[in-house]
Amino acid sequence: MTATEGTALPLQSAEMANMLFAATREVFTSMLGSELQHLPESEAERSATFDGVLSLIGLAGPVIGNGALVCTAETACDLSSRLLMSPFPHIDEEVLDAVGEIANMIIGGFKNLLEPHTGRLQMSIPSVVYGKNIATRDSKADIAVALRCGFEGGELELKVRLVAARDWAESRYPKKA
Amino acid sequence: MIVDDSTAIRKILLRVLSQTGFALGQVLEAGDGQEALRLMEGHDISLILSDINMPNMDGLELLRALRGSATWQHVPVVMITTEGGQARVEEAIQLGATSYIRKPFNADVLRDKLAALLSI
Repeated sequence: MTATEGTALPLQSAEMANMLFAATREVFTSMLGSELQHLPESEAERSATFDGVLSLIGLAGPVIGNGALVCTAETACDLSSRLLMSPFPHIDEEVLDAVGEIANMIIGGFKNLLEPHTGRLQMSIPSVVYGKNIATRDSKADIAVALRCGFEGGELELKVRLVAARDWAESRYPKKA
Repeated sequence: MIVDDSTAIRKILLRVLSQTGFALGQVLEAGDGQEALRLMEGHDISLILSDINMPNMDGLELLRALRGSATWQHVPVVMITTEGGQARVEEAIQLGATSYIRKPFNADVLRDKLAALLSI
């Protein structure tokens, strides 16, 4: 897990990481029939670009940001096969839709755990990207959490980046005169 | 009828409905609320399973439209959604949702709930 400490948000990144893992584990247990393990992050494996599938979901409200699921094409196919109980040897529209829905359930579950701390949040519908040499650029965040998880069919990474919406933060943490 | 923008969830719900006795050919599928209202015309609908977070017309707007319609005001509507916050649940129930099931769900539990609902 990597995280930066929160500033304007009423949460520490470790709490957010626990919420994200709990939400992910619930999806794996309920709908994918698999147990999930929390894996240590491997800095050596990190690179500027990656090949595979990225599903991104926006969050908006008192905090704004996004959540993402990142995995290889092989893992995406395995996840889809588990969700739909039929084999998917290659990436196709159904696989991308299934990965989008899995991300939707994970980030939705995370949002439900986060809302008692932040207030009501809105979620976008998922956007799913599949390709090679995908490069992402992360914007500024008050809290950023990245979890690397393993299951019997592969590995995936979950990321959440949040920043307090300015009006909300100023109403709770007024600037001193 | 199943209303969800995810074909994966529609497939899973179709499987669950078939296990509760629905013939697959009897189940209509829509990707959003607008499409659902269009497809429902001329059909006898006994149950609607609907997501909330969808493009064009979301599940709560669909629910509002159904409850304001002379034809569909009494059709049972089960919201199946990742939106698990109490405020959102209460909003759906106040708008006339028959039941509320949060995703992720266990297929066996969902099947039992739907069977109980359909036996009323």
